[in-house]
Amino acid sequence: MIHDFGIVWSERGLLLSGLMNTMLLSALAGFCALVLGVLLSTVLMQRARLLAQTARVFVDAARCTPFLLFVYFVYYGLPSAGLRFDNWSAGLAALIVYHTAYMGEILRGAWMAQPREPIEAGQAFGYTGLKLFRRIVLPPLALASAPVVGNQIIQIIKDSAFLTIIALPELTNAASSIQSRRYVPFASFIIAMLLYWALCLVVEAGVAAAGRMAQARR
Amino acid sequence: MNITIPTMPSDNTHALKVVGLSKSFGALHVLDNVSFGVAPGETVCLLGPSGSGKSTLLRCINWLERPDAGRILLNGRQVGISSGGVVMSDSELAAMRMHIGMVFQHFALWPHLTVLQNVMEAPVHVQRRPKDEVLAEAEALLRRVGMYEKRDAFPARLSGGQKQRVGIARALAMKPTLLLFDEPTSALDPELVGEVLAVMRDLAREGMTMVVVTHEMAFAREAASRIVFMDRGVVVETGDPETFFSAPKTERARQFLLRYASGPVPNAEPSSIVPLNPESASIRP
Amino acid sequence: MSFADILSIFSGALTTLLLSAAGIALGLPVGLGLALLRWARVPVAAPIVALYVSLLRASPLVTLLLLLFYGLPNVGISVGPVTAGVLALAMNTSAFNCEVWRAALMAFPKEQTEAAQSVGMRRGLRFRRIVLPQIVRIGLPGLVNEMTQLIKVTPVLALVGVVDVTRAAVRIGASTYEPLPPLLVAIAIYVPIVYALVSTQRWIERRQARLEAPA
Repeated sequence: MIHDFGIVWSERGLLLSGLMNTMLLSALAGFCALVLGVLLSTVLMQRARLLAQTARVFVDAARCTPFLLFVYFVYYGLPSAGLRFDNWSAGLAALIVYHTAYMGEILRGAWMAQPREPIEAGQAFGYTGLKLFRRIVLPPLALASAPVVGNQIIQIIKDSAFLTIIALPELTNAASSIQSRRYVPFASFIIAMLLYWALCLVVEAGVAAAGRMAQARR
Repeated sequence: MNITIPTMPSDNTHALKVVGLSKSFGALHVLDNVSFGVAPGETVCLLGPSGSGKSTLLRCINWLERPDAGRILLNGRQVGISSGGVVMSDSELAAMRMHIGMVFQHFALWPHLTVLQNVMEAPVHVQRRPKDEVLAEAEALLRRVGMYEKRDAFPARLSGGQKQRVGIARALAMKPTLLLFDEPTSALDPELVGEVLAVMRDLAREGMTMVVVTHEMAFAREAASRIVFMDRGVVVETGDPETFFSAPKTERARQFLLRYASGPVPNAEPSSIVPLNPESASIRP
Repeated sequence: MSFADILSIFSGALTTLLLSAAGIALGLPVGLGLALLRWARVPVAAPIVALYVSLLRASPLVTLLLLLFYGLPNVGISVGPVTAGVLALAMNTSAFNCEVWRAALMAFPKEQTEAAQSVGMRRGLRFRRIVLPQIVRIGLPGLVNEMTQLIKVTPVLALVGVVDVTRAAVRIGASTYEPLPPLLVAIAIYVPIVYALVSTQRWIERRQARLEAPA
């Protein structure tokens, strides 16, 4: 068994590149999903019913669909409808579209829970538009939604592992590749799991820091 | 400390003039042809039972609520409608609002900023005044309301009375022409009401132009230059506080005083008045 | 897609449901056991449980499944795809359930335990008749949420050869060269099941809020 770990260590380059790809995918998808989620949450709260209803259907459908099936759908299913993606685009697109739905919903929830009066005070003091948003609306909202957004980022990291099915060279795929070539499945997957754990602990540390900032102001 | 008069051109005897203001929420007529004026330095208290439209009227003055009809004139300039006769854009409205200060019932302090930052925020970022000048004034204002020691605390750590005093300092920092108070002590525990009323009383004494919606009858009697009594969206009676409280002219005012202030009290000495409003036993210094 | 194809997808759905049920049935009590170990602060076990839960909550199910399916034989324990699948589902969900149970235990009012003690109830009885029914009630929304999550990750079983909905759909797509229709059918099977569970959870939450509202 120790010998097995030695073999994994010798393949650390591949593992590390898999880790890098996981981090890249997760960071990119997380950022895009967050930005698009902000837009989606505003659409969800529109008074124009048709628009809001359409967005609502999208969110509910995404949250009721298994991510793995969605990946299959994007990579294998869409080509027969004319849309062909390579595995990176398919993987990234699937992650972003899927998690935008979640982000939209949680941001909407965080927004609804915000007290209205301080924002009204901002307006009464002469704040409008972008300035109102940046200085008055955004900071408390960001602090309040940090924990749930952090959780969603962790979810994105874990969902990125599913992309191994479309041969995307992320961490789980790297571990699979090592185990199939060098016959060290236990060691390679355990190491992969520990690396995912480390990633999640980093995200959780970030959330905890935001939580401390929020706590001082709560 | 003197409140400096801000730089709005004054071509009118009234600092604030409300003319024929009406507003409905659906079928409910909340305001019906309301008119009154406020001279510079006056403190007007809006009194009336719940649902009389007092808060809505106040919020129409700075266009937080949009009136359906009527005009609001701040030092002769119309609020909400530009000189071309069209509804003001956001930035035009914002420019007018810089001259109208507001103190909110639930304080509405910005939770992510400290006390000092709350007071400095709008003068620096909306009025674009130099930071050191604003800092000096903010500290002076906080000393004035007795909150200087807590200047680095976050609002969440403060009591209601403390928060409201910061709210008043924050509004004053903008050097407003007019200060609006929306039931400033209604959300406070009884023992904290006094400290806020004391600050407000001093402001009134120093000549700040104020419109106050309140249930604090004792405060209104002592600090107001004029009472505007409203019921169901209509101005029923106006007059000086002494007359209103001791010998109201209308029956509705009499009923109101009976319910909320144990009836008209003739010739009472202001400083010996025991809290009349059963809902908030404010402790007077 | 022929009728036989649709039938095979539905048979795959049955497999999915059975294996999900197995995973849930195992995960619930194991999660409770783990939560109790941590809550009672049992000396050696509690910190181990904390680490285990933290690790499993952070691990993608895919990686865990591959670890069990390929790794266990590596260390001498032979497992088939179904065993590995159910084990992975159970381990994963038990970690999340543990946190739900823990929150329910922490929300459980201490006075109730004391009241039970004062009438002479012993520990086992106390737990069975007083504590358990209440923490089930408190934790129900969270537990139903976890069941929903579990069902949503069952397609992962296809990776180790279990013929569930996903694998059936992919196989049909490969043989008919029309991958889209069977995938859509598979999604169409999942969506109502998940939606039903989510609605149930919301209903439970609403009902509890109503019952607990002051009269």
